[in-house]
Amino acid sequence: MNPADRQQNRPGWRILIAGTGGQGVLTAARLLCECFAQLGHQVVSGQLHGMAQRGGAVQSSVIIDGGSSPVIPSGRADFVVGFEPVETARALPFVSRHTTVYMNTAPVVPYVLAQRAALKKEQAQYPDVQQLADGVRAVASRTFAFDATQRAARAGSVRALNMVMLGCLLGSGSLPCSAEDFWNIVAKRMPAALGEANTKAFRGGTDLAAELQVGGATP
Amino acid sequence: MSTTPRHEILQDNPGTRACLLGNLAIVRGALEAGVQFFSCYPGTPSSEIGDTFARIAKDADVLFEYSVNEKITVEIAFAASLAGARSMCGMKHLGLAYANDPISTMPYIGVEGGMVIVSAGDPSAITSPNEQDQRHFSRYLYYPVFDPATPEDARQMTRYAFELSETTHLPVIVRPTTRVCHSSGMVELGPLPSGKNEIRFTKDPPRYVPIPGNVRRMRKELTERFRRAEELLQTSDFFPHSGSGRRGIIAGGVAYAYAAQVIEDLNLREQVSLQQIGAYPIPESLLRNFLESVDSVLVVEELTPLIEEWVSVSALRNGRHIPILGKHSGHFPMEFEYSPDVVEDAVRDFLNLDRRKKLSVSVPELPPRPPVLCPGCPHRTSFYLVGSVFGKRTVYCNDIGCYTLGYGEPLHACDTLLCMGSSITQACGLARVTGRRTVAYIGDSTFFHSGLPALVNAVQADDPVTIVILDNYITAMTGFQPSLTTPDQASEGIRQTAPRTVNTDADCGRIEQAVRGLGVREVYSVDPFDEQTTLAALKQAKAGTGLNVVVCHAPCVVDRRRRAKSEGRTPFVIDQELCNACSLCVRVLGCPAITIAEGKYEIDQDLCDGCELCARVCQHDAIKPATTEKM
Repeated sequence: MNPADRQQNRPGWRILIAGTGGQGVLTAARLLCECFAQLGHQVVSGQLHGMAQRGGAVQSSVIIDGGSSPVIPSGRADFVVGFEPVETARALPFVSRHTTVYMNTAPVVPYVLAQRAALKKEQAQYPDVQQLADGVRAVASRTFAFDATQRAARAGSVRALNMVMLGCLLGSGSLPCSAEDFWNIVAKRMPAALGEANTKAFRGGTDLAAELQVGGATP
Repeated sequence: MSTTPRHEILQDNPGTRACLLGNLAIVRGALEAGVQFFSCYPGTPSSEIGDTFARIAKDADVLFEYSVNEKITVEIAFAASLAGARSMCGMKHLGLAYANDPISTMPYIGVEGGMVIVSAGDPSAITSPNEQDQRHFSRYLYYPVFDPATPEDARQMTRYAFELSETTHLPVIVRPTTRVCHSSGMVELGPLPSGKNEIRFTKDPPRYVPIPGNVRRMRKELTERFRRAEELLQTSDFFPHSGSGRRGIIAGGVAYAYAAQVIEDLNLREQVSLQQIGAYPIPESLLRNFLESVDSVLVVEELTPLIEEWVSVSALRNGRHIPILGKHSGHFPMEFEYSPDVVEDAVRDFLNLDRRKKLSVSVPELPPRPPVLCPGCPHRTSFYLVGSVFGKRTVYCNDIGCYTLGYGEPLHACDTLLCMGSSITQACGLARVTGRRTVAYIGDSTFFHSGLPALVNAVQADDPVTIVILDNYITAMTGFQPSLTTPDQASEGIRQTAPRTVNTDADCGRIEQAVRGLGVREVYSVDPFDEQTTLAALKQAKAGTGLNVVVCHAPCVVDRRRRAKSEGRTPFVIDQELCNACSLCVRVLGCPAITIAEGKYEIDQDLCDGCELCARVCQHDAIKPATTEKM
């Protein structure tokens, strides 16, 4: 395990998953919980899904061996897994220089932008993705940005995006479970609908982790 | 060996550790207590409790119903308990207030089988029109109230609550908040019971009838029951203490989990004496002993300063003149839920430690993603048509449900909002004093919940009001629980299970029959996607003199899709040759399927449900079904 992945002297792994409703954030969090609970770790996870609906902002925390509070304090996420560029940037309050960020660069354009354009209001453009990535990288140098949606499409379905992101997180080797073991545990708990696409997408994610050398030394 | 249960919550292998959602941990606690009857009215963040019972009721041998409202759900569970059943009912904080009438007398009469009311709280009003603190029911109406900090707390407290209730004959409240309901944590499964309570109602009118002659006796018994509950709580497991030192922290609810985490993270266990308050009434001797062991106290609790004031009274009574800090001292805000950051700052201030350096992370301005009516939602069509007939000057009183999203740009369908069923009464009050026709919007589930008595009142007054009932055959906002117009319910008679089929031939008559039966003479029944008929009905309603009702029937688009498992209607596309980017469709409909890319409006083919509304609005004939585009 890379010591840079861990915050100074604070036990446990704090993962913040951010995305939009419909991207599979809650499923990803649930699979992490089930896997690490089965392996005997102490897991807590927080989520808000009251008004969350398709297209809404969703954040979910998964904390492994890090105590009983389900909420990650500001700046104390060890990992931010961003399923969408704007949502990754929205998670910045949880990020510090010790955080590792995985950021999907494919946007889900908020509908409000069309309304703003129609009503000639300010800020009708989706923010520049490169600038968003640079902004995150300015805080956390270990920020890895890539088009995970494209990877999911290549695996058979954009709906397998969450598997690409999980593949990347597990493939980095920074969590106390190998990508292989993780997949063996969760495969049988997966919604059957996507089947093969999920498996391919997860492999795509672990390949990405290898390509980007996310498990490597601090850049 | 027994076969694997159909739901993991039913597995009978004590000692197993599982990561459970707080709401599921509550279900598990109830199952371990041998619950026999469960009723609920859905409400975020409590809904998963009832939805889980809906799935497992048969296997778990639990009688289950989605009740029509919270008053009814409490009364029916109470009656079950009088016959000896361990009974439970679920709702959100607003529901507890709605059921206040039966709730205020039940402790006087007392229960037979243990009865637990689980009422989920919503600090910060994330999905509610207010914050409120149900812990006060302890002092206000003599209820033992449990306040879990984690899912494991929730399981243990729920299980114990049944025993406490049965022993003391008091109904008991379990009050988890959003951060407990919707968090997952480690839970150690306890054993499932082998037997359940015997069911028998024994006639004993003096015992069950609170007429004044009996009430004065009951009131004395209540004092005794509540005193007994405090005694039992004193020896319960729900007031754990940890750490040492002369600085005391007392905390309850999820704020306790934050405080414990801060103490662990900052390695303060040698300096701080931490006391959890897991239930109310807080045993007096516990507070006395704690106050003697410390020189100052920081109270960490969300919402009202209940513990803080309780502790202050105890200190006064025991002559302990030490600083008791919390909300009144400004260490914590009076309103909203806490966060680990808020708690850490206050703990550092309390211990005279420097505050954590705030990271100067500047988040760029990001576009928000507010909740919005779904593409294809029939409410959008209804709002658009009603708005086009009644105009901008008409006042629109809205109600609780997805249709509250008619608020603001561009539908302007929500000028007032108060509580369940209030659209009708608010419209009547406004119409009567202004003399102008006023519109009330209300959904099917909310109409049956508390719109019915409002309608009776409206019939009596015959105010110039048009009630538009938005019937989508389901309770959509809280997760698709059945309503009285959900197709399968009519035939089954009792609302036991979620419906299985798509409603193609709606039971359209049910609302109309009720409305006519109550005396409304002018009733229109329309499908909002049938524009001409709907417009004609709305115009007649607008020209009416007194009360009239327009019922708009069309299935919830999400419910229809998730049941049909089909592709649904053909999506529409914008022909860029014909579109001059006038943006009318966006300005009047606010459909999230219409997006913008490089100055061009487009329809997201994945989101579009093919409702055709935008095509009808377009003045340039630029929006067409996708199939013709492909040809």
